[in-house]
Amino acid sequence: MKLSHHYNKASILTSLAVLLVGAVIYFFAINAIGNSQLDKSLAQALSEAEEYARSSNQSPQRYDLDQDHVVFLKTDAWFLKRRFYDTTYRNARENRLEAGRAVEDLISAKQNNYKVIITVSREGTQYLIGVVSMITLALLTGLLVVLFLINKYVLKGLWQPFYQTLNEITAFNLADDSLFKRKASKVDEFSQLNQAICEMSGRVKGDYQNLKEFTENVSHELMTPLAVATTKLDTLIQDETLSSGQLDQLQDIYLSINRSTRLNQSLLLLTKLDNHLIKDDERLNLKACLLEKTVQFQELQQAKNILLVSELKDQEIIASKYLIDILLNNLFSNAIRHNIPNGEISVSLTEDRLIIKNAGKRSALDQAQIFERFKRGKDSPGTGLGLTLVKRICQYYKFEIHYRYADELHTFIINLR
Amino acid sequence: MKILVIEDEQGLRENITDYLNSDGNICESCSDLAGALEKLNSYSYDSILLDIGLPDGEGFAVLNYLKAQDRNEAVLIISARNSLDDKLTGLNIGADDYLTKPFHLAELKARLMAVFRRKTLNTTHILHFNEIAIDVLGHNVVINDQPVALTRKEYDMLLYFLANKNRVISKTALAEHLWGDEMDMHDNFDFIYTHIKNLRKKILDAGGSDYLKSIYGIGYKFVAK
Repeated sequence: MKLSHHYNKASILTSLAVLLVGAVIYFFAINAIGNSQLDKSLAQALSEAEEYARSSNQSPQRYDLDQDHVVFLKTDAWFLKRRFYDTTYRNARENRLEAGRAVEDLISAKQNNYKVIITVSREGTQYLIGVVSMITLALLTGLLVVLFLINKYVLKGLWQPFYQTLNEITAFNLADDSLFKRKASKVDEFSQLNQAICEMSGRVKGDYQNLKEFTENVSHELMTPLAVATTKLDTLIQDETLSSGQLDQLQDIYLSINRSTRLNQSLLLLTKLDNHLIKDDERLNLKACLLEKTVQFQELQQAKNILLVSELKDQEIIASKYLIDILLNNLFSNAIRHNIPNGEISVSLTEDRLIIKNAGKRSALDQAQIFERFKRGKDSPGTGLGLTLVKRICQYYKFEIHYRYADELHTFIINLR
Repeated sequence: MKILVIEDEQGLRENITDYLNSDGNICESCSDLAGALEKLNSYSYDSILLDIGLPDGEGFAVLNYLKAQDRNEAVLIISARNSLDDKLTGLNIGADDYLTKPFHLAELKARLMAVFRRKTLNTTHILHFNEIAIDVLGHNVVINDQPVALTRKEYDMLLYFLANKNRVISKTALAEHLWGDEMDMHDNFDFIYTHIKNLRKKILDAGGSDYLKSIYGIGYKFVAK
């Protein structure tokens, strides 16, 4: 749930609760005030009636104060507590019952005790309470609507910088050149957040950059000692007194150096791909590139007596010749190296995909691992970076690559679109 | 051929000059940019071997100097960097070829000969060795005045051997030369043997001498008599 929803829920619920409790208290308070006002005027009327009863010669029953409902009842009781109570009031003019307020008391006049009941209409007070309640209800509704609108629009506007920042963080890519942009915000917290993220992203980028430069520098620095070792070996093998055993050892050293070199070159290339440093894109005819590779690998393929079936359509892509060369080299050499004698390779190029299938070990490779660094097959003599490079080059050009094992063929599918 | 080697790594420099100092070549060397410019100021060379990463500056300064002076030494760059931009910068401002570290001495020599040959193509494009004559423009080989049809790989190999006469060339160096260094070596050694066998047979069939000698376990040698 969104922050504004949480806030909406909390603020509207609390306002509603406070307002409801307030309204109840308000209702009772107004009621009480209205009643006390009525009671005051009833007490006044009572004392007037008492005065009348004592001073007038007429029977108190004849008394009617301003057409108020006053009832004198002769009683034998000597004591009656004055009490105010709610009752009904008969409106003679409109001939209907209304809510009323009454008082009863004992009056002694002319040796007689009278129970006096005076009733007045509460209609006025009730009307007032009704009007006040309506106004209160309207205010309450208005307040809730305003609260909701504030939450919806003002809060949304207030949080806008936060969402912008969030979007930028989501889009943040360590490998991109673009830095996190600092935007000024009127809200201090957001400015601080932005600044903190800015500094953090700068630091992370710096570290990442350093790491990449370090990798590149190490790889480059390694090349010179490897060159020294190679040339020393080249000089050493000129010695005619070396025994065949020694020469075998030297050959192994050559192979090790060669392997280190290839490993190093692959690491360098991966770093360059990560840094987007390869920018020699050109228009390439993929079919021509593939034909070139079939010629290049012909000897290897024929030595294992592998049947190569190819079905190629003209297909142009825009890419670096250098990278496509490496991509195809790795795919072809894998297809041949892991093939079985008298096996087969099928290469198909259509408008939108390149598919290379080869026979080989009769079980599928681990989908999740084949493109990972240094995850090579048990008996693979490679560097363990071949397919990683293939995948990275595909990503570089936004091609999708999939591996599948079907019909006893290991299949690599590259979507060129 | 007079060669200047500009390389700061001592071990590398010594091996290179030792290897190149044969076949009547004169090889001089220096270890930094200042020394290189001083030497170039006083002497002229046929080819220059230039390391890009020098202690006192980028080797490209040498190329700029040569260009400014309108000199026509053939320049072969060696560098640990194989980044494409380096390559372009180097070749655009007057280097003739580019060799990435690590490299084999045989490859270095062959490349050096090739750039030198390209520079002097106007004067001669026929390479003579005893009874063998190679037209480097037309890629034709004539032995005892008799044309010999060689495959692309055999032809490359013959040129490679001629640039490295009387030197043991490792199988690794040959494989890298013929197939490039990104290919796996193990796969290619058998093919080298086949190609050598065929080349030797073709030379012998044309009445040439038996120059190609196998050195057990490690490689081959073109024995010039």
